[in-house]
Amino acid sequence: MAITVKKIDASPKMNLLERTYLREILRGLWITNRHFVVNLTRHILNLFRIKAKPGAVTIQYPEQHRGYHKRLRTAHYLAHRENDDGPRCVGCMMCETICPAKCIYIVPTEHPDPNVEKQAVKFTIDMGRCVYCGFCVEACPEDAIRMDSGRLDICSYSREGMLWDMDRLLANHHDPAPYKDEEKWLDEEF
Amino acid sequence: MWIELLTKVLIAGAVLTGILSFGGVLTWVERKQSALMQDRIGANRASILGFRLLGLFHIMTDGIKMFAKEEFIPRTDHRVLFLLAPFIAWLFSLAAFAVIPFSPELTVAGYQVTLQVANPEIGLLVAFAMMGMAIYGVVLGGWASNNNYALLGSMRATAQMISYEVALAAAAVGPLLIYRTLNMQEIVIRQGQLYNGWLPLWGIVLQPLAFLLFLVAGAAETKRVPFDLPEGESEIIGFNLEYSSMRFGAFMFTDFIEKILVACLTTTIFLGGWQVPWLADDGFRLGGALALELGPMVVWLLRLAAFGIKVCALIYVLMLVRWTLPRFRYDQLMSFGWKFLLPLAFLNIIVTAAVVLVLNL
Amino acid sequence: MSEERKMVKVTIDGNQYEVPAGTTILEAAKSVGIEIPHYCYHPGLSIAGACRMCLIEVEKVPKLQIACYMTVGDEMVIYTTNERVKRARKAMLEFHLVNHPLDCPVCDQAGECGLQNYYMLHGLYISRVRENKVKKGKKATQIGPHVMLDQERCILCSRCVRFCNEIPKTSELGMFNRGDREVVDIFPGRELNNPYSANVINLCPVGALLSKEFRFKTRVWYLETVKSVCMRCSRACNILIDYNIRRPWKNDGRRLSRLRPRYNAQVNDWWICDEGRFGFDFVDAADRLTVPLSAAGGAQAHSGWEAALETAAARLRQAASEIGDVAVLVSPRLANEALYLLKRVLAEQLPGTSVAFSSLNEHEPTQDDILRKADKNPNTTGAEFLSLTTANAEVKDHAYLLQTAKKGNLSALIVIAHNPVGLPELYGRGWSEALDKVPFKVFIGTNENETSRKADVVLPLAAFAEYDGTVTNFAGRVQLLRRAFDPLGEALAGWELLRRLGNALGGEYDFGSAGEVFDELAQKEDKFAGLSYGDIGELGVKVNG
Ligand code: SF4
Ligand code: SF4
Ligand code: FES
Repeated sequence: MAITVKKIDASPKMNLLERTYLREILRGLWITNRHFVVNLTRHILNLFRIKAKPGAVTIQYPEQHRGYHKRLRTAHYLAHRENDDGPRCVGCMMCETICPAKCIYIVPTEHPDPNVEKQAVKFTIDMGRCVYCGFCVEACPEDAIRMDSGRLDICSYSREGMLWDMDRLLANHHDPAPYKDEEKWLDEEF
Repeated sequence: MWIELLTKVLIAGAVLTGILSFGGVLTWVERKQSALMQDRIGANRASILGFRLLGLFHIMTDGIKMFAKEEFIPRTDHRVLFLLAPFIAWLFSLAAFAVIPFSPELTVAGYQVTLQVANPEIGLLVAFAMMGMAIYGVVLGGWASNNNYALLGSMRATAQMISYEVALAAAAVGPLLIYRTLNMQEIVIRQGQLYNGWLPLWGIVLQPLAFLLFLVAGAAETKRVPFDLPEGESEIIGFNLEYSSMRFGAFMFTDFIEKILVACLTTTIFLGGWQVPWLADDGFRLGGALALELGPMVVWLLRLAAFGIKVCALIYVLMLVRWTLPRFRYDQLMSFGWKFLLPLAFLNIIVTAAVVLVLNL
Repeated sequence: MSEERKMVKVTIDGNQYEVPAGTTILEAAKSVGIEIPHYCYHPGLSIAGACRMCLIEVEKVPKLQIACYMTVGDEMVIYTTNERVKRARKAMLEFHLVNHPLDCPVCDQAGECGLQNYYMLHGLYISRVRENKVKKGKKATQIGPHVMLDQERCILCSRCVRFCNEIPKTSELGMFNRGDREVVDIFPGRELNNPYSANVINLCPVGALLSKEFRFKTRVWYLETVKSVCMRCSRACNILIDYNIRRPWKNDGRRLSRLRPRYNAQVNDWWICDEGRFGFDFVDAADRLTVPLSAAGGAQAHSGWEAALETAAARLRQAASEIGDVAVLVSPRLANEALYLLKRVLAEQLPGTSVAFSSLNEHEPTQDDILRKADKNPNTTGAEFLSLTTANAEVKDHAYLLQTAKKGNLSALIVIAHNPVGLPELYGRGWSEALDKVPFKVFIGTNENETSRKADVVLPLAAFAEYDGTVTNFAGRVQLLRRAFDPLGEALAGWELLRRLGNALGGEYDFGSAGEVFDELAQKEDKFAGLSYGDIGELGVKVNG
């Protein structure tokens, strides 16, 4: 496509009325006022159990959930092997390598089973630094690290509390509850 | 003599308590009103035994939080001034309420009682003077903070408040020319007349332009959006930068009180104060004939309520503006004040004076 | 070279070159900058022709030829990248990968693996293998003190076998069975424990032979590398230092991860010995001296550099003015720059100090005809060139020092990087008591030891890989030591430490880097005449003298 020059009048001429902004100010006030009145009416109607639209679009977060998309990345967990209880992770450090936030710290060691060879003894994620990019999940050859736990409440009172060690990561697991059912999303989006 | 003193103290106490509680409630109103305007719910989490009461407890939690927070006092040579500044602002804005006539006079058991702490002949000047004094809180606060940002913030705030004070006073001159008095009670009584027997001759009817100018200048004077540059909480850093805990709270609370003050003054000068349309001392009169006879106590109460309702309506409008308009830039603010408001106010004075002279009112 | 080698004309990929007759096509191509992929060929070993990765096309020869074995002929026309060669490479790679396990994530070789690299360069095919892979023997067995063997990963290039046969000539390894059952293994009852065994780790193009010590400690792509020389014996083999300072949680915080040999035909060819390769534990050991210590009030206590140097200077000056001797026990572990500054500072600030020299240290004096020298110091020749060894009649040895100290004739003693108290069989008995008779003792060294514990002032020295400098090997070759990371704690490089000590003693020594010290050394010392730090280069230069 050829490059064309389009002249745009940067300062459109305004007449006096426009320049006082009075009309626009009044229009703005009218809009906010209308919202106030309409919402107040709805709230009152709802208070008296008369069916009306809700007066606010707020979701009361901890009690109400929006329902997560199944592809939403939530707090990490380390998966267990099917047969025994060992972690799937083989300590290959692929996730540590790919992590753009450099927030995964792995110390590997020999696995007692020579066919597994390697395992992690220390596996810590600094959740305070994680950017939830999901690269670690993508990189893992063992499907060991996953981000579909459905947990997002990871706050802590200290920085140390944001360091999730291996035990904590292994204890965390997939919880389907906070996810919206798939059909609903499909309805909404496609 | 003693009885008089006692009633004065009682009245002053009532006004003080009323204003302070109203200021507290306004913090809640501001939150809830803005929430409703923006399709939100607003603060509603504070609960006592599971009761949330539409978030009203937030007034309390705010207070507790303010008191419980760590107080940080910067290293400064003017420690005393630093500590006093918020209360200077607070004190003077409260003092201005002394001259507001909340109600007409009522004769109870032979005594004249008014919900007005003092009724000096120059009542309006007292109110303006007190409002002017409140600037000192801001100036001293910024200066004593020993912080360049706070100092600049307070310079900005001072310049703004002084500029708009001129416009504010100038806007009030128009109606005063008509009322020919500075006595607050008197001003209200003057507005009780009817034009042609049906149109109440309130300040707003006689001086619509002055009303608008007064309201705008008042909003600026009290640092309300869109004139809230002095505070500009997070973005441009204001005079209260170094304040924390309850001293910061005092500054913030002063804002609410000043807002009430502006609303009260506007009501008194332009909205007929406690006047209820067509309500005379003995009841409602239409076209000169008594339509509904009412006892003096009922009339008094009606008038008191009228004052409250007018103040509330004004505050509603001020808040509506706050949550609708974006903030001015500083140069816009200044040129608006000096090049727009003030000339208009002067023009209003001249025209009014001419009309008053010609009609020999 | 007395007679000129005959040159032949060859055409490689369309360009004409002249190369010496008798070179292999692979080497000839390499000399003009064309890399031909190969696994089994190694310039230091005999040619096996086992992997067929190096197939190239020679005009007028019907079949593809292996470049590693075929020598160039006059007017030969060679194609290294035409379609036929590329197809062959792909096919060979496919062969190699048929039975190779895909356990790269747990394999330490990943990142520097020949299979990975060539797959990315020449393979990039989609697997067609439907059958199960042939499972070879055990996974990850230890076959020697330093080497782990994983037969599954082996591509049977036989480099390791040839190495053991040809370099240490110990022949521990062999190829067993045929066809897809073929495996590399250790001969029954043997152990891969020759002094050069760990070289097979570098020779192995894949992860079949891996280092026991390095195993699972980190990943190779986390490592940074500098070129340096080994300080474990007077050959000073050229090495690469692989270190990790960006991920300190790995390997218990050790910064030095591993050493690898670096080719230098004049010194060590492609190899290094196991002692040198694994002899760097002291660098990150817990007993490293990290801060200056001073025992003014009895027990040794942490003190700043200023305070420690001032105490040392004051006491040394005082001792020098007393009846009795100030003596220094010099170590050939110091680099040339430190030795030179030591010499200069002593001559200028503490004239009359008696210098003693000893090349003893805690290492066993192993030696052979391959690389290892009995002198386990990197810089004895350098000290000799600076006339700091007993070759100079004025310089005493440790035995003389012991006698003087025992008689109580020493008023102060500086011990540099020696441990006479801890090694009585070597240095002679009675050092501990003799030192008690010396009123003031300074210890300069990298790690705490029995001698350092007796000192009044301890000055921490930067260890191997922590400083720049030069050492002179037994053959008089000056080579560069390179700093990989900062010294631990407050330790200082030898030249910097002596510079500061000299200043504390009242001199004015103003050097900004080891290079500046070396350049002055080269001007002042005949043996090093004509050298300059900037010209030493990666492979070192031989001293004229
Ligand atoms: S989600 Fe991204 S930032 Fe977080 S741990 Fe994984 S790779 Fe690192
Ligand atoms: S990529 Fe997977 S297997 Fe590898 S260390 Fe991370 S979680 Fe473990
Ligand atoms: S390198 Fe030529 S056959 Fe292996």
